[in-house]
Amino acid sequence: MSSILYVFSRPPHGSINAQEGLDTLLMGSAFTTCSVLFVGDGLMQLIEGQSTDEMGTKNFSLGFGALKDYGVTRIACSKPDLVASGLTKGDFVIEVESLDAEGMQALIRTHDKVLNF
Amino acid sequence: MSGLFCVCQPMKFAIVVHGAPYSSEACLSALMFAKAVLASGHSINRVFFYHDGVYTANSLIAPPQDETAVSEQWQEFGISHHIELIACIASCLRRGILDETEADRYGKSGSNLAPGFTISGLGQLIDASINADRVVTFGV
Amino acid sequence: MILHTINKVSAFELCKDLIARGDKVVLMEDGVYLGLQTLPFDVSAIRHDVEARGLGERLSGQTESIDYLDFVRLCTEADKVCSWF
Repeated sequence: MSSILYVFSRPPHGSINAQEGLDTLLMGSAFTTCSVLFVGDGLMQLIEGQSTDEMGTKNFSLGFGALKDYGVTRIACSKPDLVASGLTKGDFVIEVESLDAEGMQALIRTHDKVLNF
Repeated sequence: MSGLFCVCQPMKFAIVVHGAPYSSEACLSALMFAKAVLASGHSINRVFFYHDGVYTANSLIAPPQDETAVSEQWQEFGISHHIELIACIASCLRRGILDETEADRYGKSGSNLAPGFTISGLGQLIDASINADRVVTFGV
Repeated sequence: MILHTINKVSAFELCKDLIARGDKVVLMEDGVYLGLQTLPFDVSAIRHDVEARGLGERLSGQTESIDYLDFVRLCTEADKVCSWF
């Protein structure tokens, strides 16, 4: 069955799109082998300590803790984008592998389909 | 005239549309691409409208006469070619695109799902992606 | 070979490290403005979008204008399509 790589490039909360992307990943992992790659502003979705209580919206970053339980195979981020952001993996709510350009290209190659969000 | 005759095995395409008519070009680009897929001898297993793309399924769109009626064009395309045009239910509910069932369920004053479209779940996107030979997303 | 689509100039920053040697790029919508530059990839631009933006005579020599039929053909020749936006 086709494996799917999800690529997340949006920051959270500025629109619902990042949350809807995660919904699709969780749904997809129920059907087939899935992995996720965070690039660009997508890395911001992973920042620990997000709180939306005052805003009254959903803090969907809490859902990332379930990715392994849902069977998501690889959870990765762009190393160049991580460095450029000034963040470190220690700032993230879950453990993420950071990939250089070759690593990201290989991740794309080894999945059958790519869904970008 | 390139591409009019498919010299490869016919392929199944899944098309994903993230953008609303007029707010982005995604909706129109996806339609032109979809037409080219069929003209090339390939098939479309599903078109899935997600995020603001579900606004394409709004039957209340009434653009000026001299502007492209992209929602209507999608309706005609889906109906005449028997292509599944699926609008994601979660995205639809958030954005007020309702069929009669959902309008009743949520006690809303009316429904506005355009002909040719069906509201359904994210599983339809996953299923289409898994079973297609190629998935192409038109994002914003 | 992977086919990458880019629909806006800012999306190029997202994907430039992910376009491997031998991959192809289709510029579409506002992404066709990238066609003004010389890029280190095999680049095509959707003609509708090029003409709408008055770029016909201004694209760099390496950027080929294509129609949607060509776009479909490129999709079939690639292993998969990666859409950047």
